[in-house]
This record gives sequence, structure tokens and C-alpha cells, in this order.
Amino acid sequence: MAHWFHRNPLKATAPVSFNFYGVAGSPAANKICNDLRTTRARLLEMFTDITCNPEIMKNATDAYFSLLQGFIVPLDGTTQENKMRFIQNFKWTDTLQGNTPSAQQDAVFELVSMAFNVAIWYTKFASRLAGKENISEAEAKDVHRSLKVAAGIFKNLKEAHIPRLITPAEKGRDLEPRVIDAYIIQCQAEAQEVTIARAIELKHNATLVAALAFETANFYQKADHTLNTLEPECSSKWRKYLQLKQHFYMAYVSSSLHNKDYYKLGYSRAEALCKDYRQTKGPGSTAKPSEQLFFLKLGGLIKMTLEKCQRENGFIYFHKVPAEAPQLDMKASYGLAEPVPFELPPLSEQCTPEVYATFDLTKGAKNDKAKPKEEEVKPVKEPDLKPQKDTGCIIS
Amino acid sequence: PSIPEGIPSDSKTNKDGVLVDEFGLPQIPAT
Repeated sequence: MAHWFHRNPLKATAPVSFNFYGVAGSPAANKICNDLRTTRARLLEMFTDITCNPEIMKNATDAYFSLLQGFIVPLDGTTQENKMRFIQNFKWTDTLQGNTPSAQQDAVFELVSMAFNVAIWYTKFASRLAGKENISEAEAKDVHRSLKVAAGIFKNLKEAHIPRLITPAEKGRDLEPRVIDAYIIQCQAEAQEVTIARAIELKHNATLVAALAFETANFYQKADHTLNTLEPECSSKWRKYLQLKQHFYMAYVSSSLHNKDYYKLGYSRAEALCKDYRQTKGPGSTAKPSEQLFFLKLGGLIKMTLEKCQRENGFIYFHKVPAEAPQLDMKASYGLAEPVPFELPPLSEQCTPEVYATFDLTKGAKNDKAKPKEEEVKPVKEPDLKPQKDTGCIIS
Repeated sequence: PSIPEGIPSDSKTNKDGVLVDEFGLPQIPAT
């Protein structure tokens, strides 16, 4: 079956030349700067290269981060800050804030922003692969893993690197806790969707599937609630998607448990949200979830079961569809997606204490060319996520 | 070198000792 995922745009950045005339006082120091420029440019290229896969992405990321750490970790044998950390200004846009960049003269800001984009890339790669017709088991594993890798990157940035920034992220920017938390939970929930599809396909116990769908619905609800204090202009489209998925999986739980009380409620909410999602303006790709075969099939199934319930019970009890879904107490024991721990690559062999000593900050300011040039941030031209026709999923 | 025991696979056990696949689902579907 094909899954459909909402995706916010990639972060965009201004080019960085790493030209520190005078400061880089040795051929080895100059080489580090040149390599930083080329590995950064290559990594940025990979974000929009349709042929890029997780292996290529990992190599490109490691190549840049192993060098960038030479401007972050202490290299002179002391615990003091790396002297190169604050030499370069970096500009990055945010996934929810259009084309208005944030800028910080801090290599840690560059590290977290770039890694954030790597995580977004993994979610887009997963989305592209999941949109394929007749997805194979190996591809389903790749989708599942990519989403867990993305969750692991977001989590690691939040816990280990973002707290090191001197300037905290402003409201609604990617690096603030609400936004990054929503991304972490969304990735886990989407990975679990793949597991749900697999569990259905392998005819696992209905209670197992229902429990996992229930937890997944809760994840989507949690992600949605995390965003509810953000400006609606930037978050409402994304939130509609999260709500849609939440109600969709609640409808699924109801149908699999044969609980007629929430059948119509869950589905009709999900159906309304489908239309709403398409009409809501905001950052992100526009999918047509209500036209997906999986959704249409679920609708048919729900309608049929509801009618059966009404035929068999309604005549006697005249039950009405409740306005609010009753609280369910279900715990999933299987299929919960844990983020894959993210680790930075080892420091590049080029970045030795000896070479570090040849960077001289006192020599840079004299040269006019060293003055930071105002570089423009152009939006990323992303390849189309052409969703293919869904071959459907049989709910048995 | 010693003879490897069993066939290498992606399987592992969860906290309850149940054999699970890469997705964390039981190896043997119990319908």
C-alpha cells in the first residue's frame, strides 16, 4: 500500500565560502577551509538530488560534519571553546517560516541547522519511497528505518546540541522545543503506520493492530497538541494533517474492535479534515488524502459495519452516534518505533592540534575581503514528490 | 573458527523475550 505524508519544505541557506584570508595560516588550514566549502556544497546538492539514497546521504553528511567539528570541539588541549566557532555567520530559513532566515555567527548553529535538514531529507526520502506502487518488503524496511533515523537526529539535536547555542531559537523556528518535538513524534507515528500496514498484511492479531493504531493515533494527537500554541498561519496545515491521521487511526481502531459507537464519529471527522487539509494554506506539500484508495476503502468498510450495527441493534436500542469518543485504555506491546540513536562522525584527520594552531584570528580583520558578505538565501527547489496511484490496501 | 549457530537474520527479542522482526512485530503472527 502507499502511504501519504505531509511534508514541510526543506530549510534553505546562503552559500558559505569559508574564505578566511590571513586567518588560515598554513596550506593544511587552507585545505580544511576549501574542503568545508566543497563538502557543504555537495551536501546541499544531495538534499534535492532525486537519486540520493541513505548511504550517499550518510557519506555526504559525515564528510562535512567531520570537518565542521574542527571548528567546534576544543583542539588545543584545554576545555576552552574552539576559537573558530564564532568566526563565520550562517543563515538558515525555517521549515514553517517561509523565506525569512535566522542568522547566527556560530558553527554549532550551522551543525544543528544542517543536521535538521538531513533529518527532513530522511522524512522526504521515506515519503517518496512510501508513495511507490507495490512497495516491497525491503522498501518498507527502508521507509521504516529512515523515519526512525530522522527521529533520532531530531532527538539528538534537541538533547545534545541545541542547548549549546548562545542565542536561543525564537518562537516558531525549527530549533524551538515545540517544533522539534512535533517532528520527533510525527516520525515515530509514521514509522508505526508502516508497521500497522505490515501487521495487517501478515494477518496479525486484531487486538495487536488495534493497540498499535491506538498508540499511533495518540502520537498524532500529542504532536498536534504540541503545535497548538504556534501561529496558525505557519502551523495550521501541518496540524490538519496530524489531526486527520489521529482521527483516521481512531476510526480504524473502532472498526477493528467492532465498536459501533465511534465508527461514524472517527471517520466523519477524518473525512472533514481531508477536505479541510486541502483547503488550508500553509507551508508543506499538498496531498489529496481523501482520494487515496486506503481511505476510500476504510470509508466503505465503516459504512457497511455501521449499517449492519444499525440494522441489528439500532432497531432495538436506537443508539445515537456520540459527540465525543469515549476514552480507551490500550497499550501496544509490539511495533512501537524507537528513534535510531544519532552520532556525529569522528573528527576529520585533517583537524590536528598542529593545524589548529596555524589558524590566527588576529590576522583576519585587517583584510577587507574577510568582511562577511551579505549572501542571499534562495528557497530550495525541491524535486516533485509525485505520488503514484495507490494500488490499495485490503483491510481484512 | 567455530560453526555459527543458526541463520543470521534481523530477528531479535523484545523485553518480554518474544522473538520479533525488524518492525517489532512477533515473528509468528498469532491470529
